[in-house]
Amino acid sequence: MFYASAFLITICSVMVVTNRNPVVSAIYLVGDLFLLAAVYASLDAHFVAAIQVLVYAGAIVVLFMFVIMLLNLGPEGRAHLRIPAPEFAVLILTVIGFMAIGTMLLTAQPTGVGGDLSAAAIAADGGNTLNIAKLLFTKFLWPFEISSILILLAVIAAIVIAKKDKKQVVHG
Amino acid sequence: MVSINNYLILATVMFLCGTLGVLFRRNLLLILMSIELMLNAVNLVFVSGSRLVNNLDGQIMVFFIITVAACEAGVGLAMVIALYRRYGTVETSFLRMLRG
Repeated sequence: MFYASAFLITICSVMVVTNRNPVVSAIYLVGDLFLLAAVYASLDAHFVAAIQVLVYAGAIVVLFMFVIMLLNLGPEGRAHLRIPAPEFAVLILTVIGFMAIGTMLLTAQPTGVGGDLSAAAIAADGGNTLNIAKLLFTKFLWPFEISSILILLAVIAAIVIAKKDKKQVVHG
Repeated sequence: MVSINNYLILATVMFLCGTLGVLFRRNLLLILMSIELMLNAVNLVFVSGSRLVNNLDGQIMVFFIITVAACEAGVGLAMVIALYRRYGTVETSFLRMLRG
């Protein structure tokens, strides 16, 4: 189950990045998100899986699709394969950072601090969703409220930025 | 149960795909999608870590990441629309007004 999902997620991720048509990339992104939801469900994170499908695949990618259709973007031309030096340096640094994190994770042994999170224990305690809700409205109440302010700000910002400009100046 | 290392390797592959997309693609929409890919890799690490240490805080953190990702997508796509309206393109090679 996990290995099949992981294989397909890898393929979808590569296709998202390498495909020249933005619409096809968005569809592969949807596949990616659905498969990730399956992985979350196999990790007993049922509410995260549901939210992943509803919000990510259902809202965010649809927003991407709307914009692609609105701008009427076709496939890109053949990408010039000249690789710029600064970007390549950043890529090498990223890989080195991941290797450092990997060696640290291989030497360190993480230990558990919480309670029992097995499927049976979660079911006996009222399910994943109930426990998430309890945490979200007690320990994480303030971050929750602040994130609602963040969403409000993002809505206002999106409207202001995308609003049609009265005096349009075209720069070179 | 699958070892956590497999989840971490999968997240690393996804994150590197996203990094490649941000660095080497020229389409602004593709760059935003690659950022979503990287955020999803981080979400996967949070959920598998939450399972590893038996603590639900990681899953709560995923919700906040999804919230921020939605805000980022909304504002980013609004910027893409504004740029397209003004310059008629979403290719980053044409958008170099801030380059010194």
